[in-house]
Amino acid sequence: MSPYDDIRARMISGETIILDGGIGTEILRRDLTWSDHQVLDRPDAIRGLHEDYIRAGADVITTNSFQLAKRSFLGHFRDEAHMNYIGVPGLEERAAEMLTASVDLCKQARDNVGADRPVAIAGAVTTLEWCFRPDLAPTEDQMREEYREIMATMAAAGADLILLETVNSVTEARVGLEAAVRAGLPCWVGFVCNEQGELFTGETMADVENALAPLEPDVILVNCIPPDDATAGLRELLAVRKGPCGVYPHIGRFDPPEWHFTAEYPPTTLLEESQRWKEMGTRVIGGCCGTTPEHIAKLAEGLRG
Amino acid sequence: MTPYDRIRRQLDDNTAVLLDGAIGSELVRRGIRWRGHGLRTDPDQVQALHAEYIAAGADVIRTNTFQLNDRIYLNVFRDPDHRRHIGAPGLETRAHDLTFRAVEMAVAARDESGTDVAIAGVMAPLEHCFRPDLAPDDSTALKQHGEIADWFSQAGVDLLLLESMNNVGEARMAAEAAVSSGLPVWVSFIMGPEGAILSGEPLADGVRAVDALGVEAVLVNCVPPEDTAHGVEQLRMATSLPVGAFAQVGRFDPPSWKFEFHPRFTDSGDWSPEKYAEKAQGWRGAGARIIGGCCGTDPNYIRALREIL
Repeated sequence: MSPYDDIRARMISGETIILDGGIGTEILRRDLTWSDHQVLDRPDAIRGLHEDYIRAGADVITTNSFQLAKRSFLGHFRDEAHMNYIGVPGLEERAAEMLTASVDLCKQARDNVGADRPVAIAGAVTTLEWCFRPDLAPTEDQMREEYREIMATMAAAGADLILLETVNSVTEARVGLEAAVRAGLPCWVGFVCNEQGELFTGETMADVENALAPLEPDVILVNCIPPDDATAGLRELLAVRKGPCGVYPHIGRFDPPEWHFTAEYPPTTLLEESQRWKEMGTRVIGGCCGTTPEHIAKLAEGLRG
Repeated sequence: MTPYDRIRRQLDDNTAVLLDGAIGSELVRRGIRWRGHGLRTDPDQVQALHAEYIAAGADVIRTNTFQLNDRIYLNVFRDPDHRRHIGAPGLETRAHDLTFRAVEMAVAARDESGTDVAIAGVMAPLEHCFRPDLAPDDSTALKQHGEIADWFSQAGVDLLLLESMNNVGEARMAAEAAVSSGLPVWVSFIMGPEGAILSGEPLADGVRAVDALGVEAVLVNCVPPEDTAHGVEQLRMATSLPVGAFAQVGRFDPPSWKFEFHPRFTDSGDWSPEKYAEKAQGWRGAGARIIGGCCGTDPNYIRALREIL
């Protein structure tokens, strides 16, 4: 039995499930560069931040694999001939190696902490092209092929479920979800939305629910948006969704290629927002960019029971 | 005599002009966390590296502005409204502000050195340098390169160097914008594995397009040292303008995130500074008058080049 089975049963019975907080932004706070996921170069640091989230009370921790795909490396070159001409060797395989390592580090963190509650590992998978740019998405056939490969790698590495996050279109959500189901993994799907609670493509939460419900995702969430936009997205989603919903907002501001941390939402303020989301009917609550283990500890303490 | 007058005289006399080496890849190698080109967080290190290139004997130093333009701070958002909504303060003017800072660092290094090295404002493709397929349309390219050329002109550089141009169309627009600034302009093309411009277009086509606009030199860059002489020969056959080259050493090791160009080059062990300089003698023999180093090189390469030139 997977640790996720227990978490899922509790969620369905109405309990609030705590997701972890920002992973990439924690890398920055630990003074490492964002240009690499650091799962191969600094495994100690990545394992440590997962441990911190488990100790903070997260039921589900997410792998450090945001937007980590073969395409992420190959997209830096004109084509394969050019990559072979000036690129370092091994780039074809690097994404799969890093995805596997990202799951391994979560498993090690879970073993090291030995929490007295089940902790599930969600393999984080994002849009194949940039998460805020639905206009750049590849064709559906291309997507299908790439997601199958990613989900197969995640399943082989031992992820308990998939968190398909920061998705910007119904099509990409459906194709990614299909691939997860096909790989035998439960899947949660998180969407980025605008201030009106619509996707960046203009699609609505009703479009989301209609397209995804037949594939039975365990949770549909909104993520990587400011708390106010999250409230708008949740309101739209809860109005149409039959299954569980979730939310994990970002706090602070995107400062490419890094993150601008602000003091706008200290842990107590985020907890107040989260209590409102819980009252609205949200079952899964956590944090995206800019949130820290301190935020998750506060949410776990305030939202459980 | 302005710093560029001296360079022009060297070119006319067929005296070799020594460019500097890599800025970005060397800052990354030195452990600088790559954000804002290091200009916000580590300006002293940027200035120190310019100073090392001057001390190594460079005649021309280049600003730390490769692929520094507004698009890199916009492409990662849905649109300008989304950038205002969730972006950090100051992103709208970030590229402008950092360009001025970059020129300041180069000028400060020159002032401190007491030399009259020329400062080249580096302009580059507006989209990822290795993706000619992403190049913007002509009118967008002309407008955005025009803005960047204006910044350099206001900030006070001696010439503009259009680096790593990866297709003829954008090179033409960038050159037109650069020449309009009134500054001397050099244009350098990035070569692909076929020995042509990365887009697949012949180097001769690129040279003809910019020669007609009044640029003062054409070069090739970001090509492995062993393939560089071939590029120089093609340039020389296509134009009577001075030609040059600066090769890359090592291999591009891209980031696992898809942000802007991240200048990490590794495995440069194959090409020691001495071996590089020896190879560069062949470029000189093929007619190159401007020689320097691209990604992966450091001040030791420029010192080695100074000895043989």
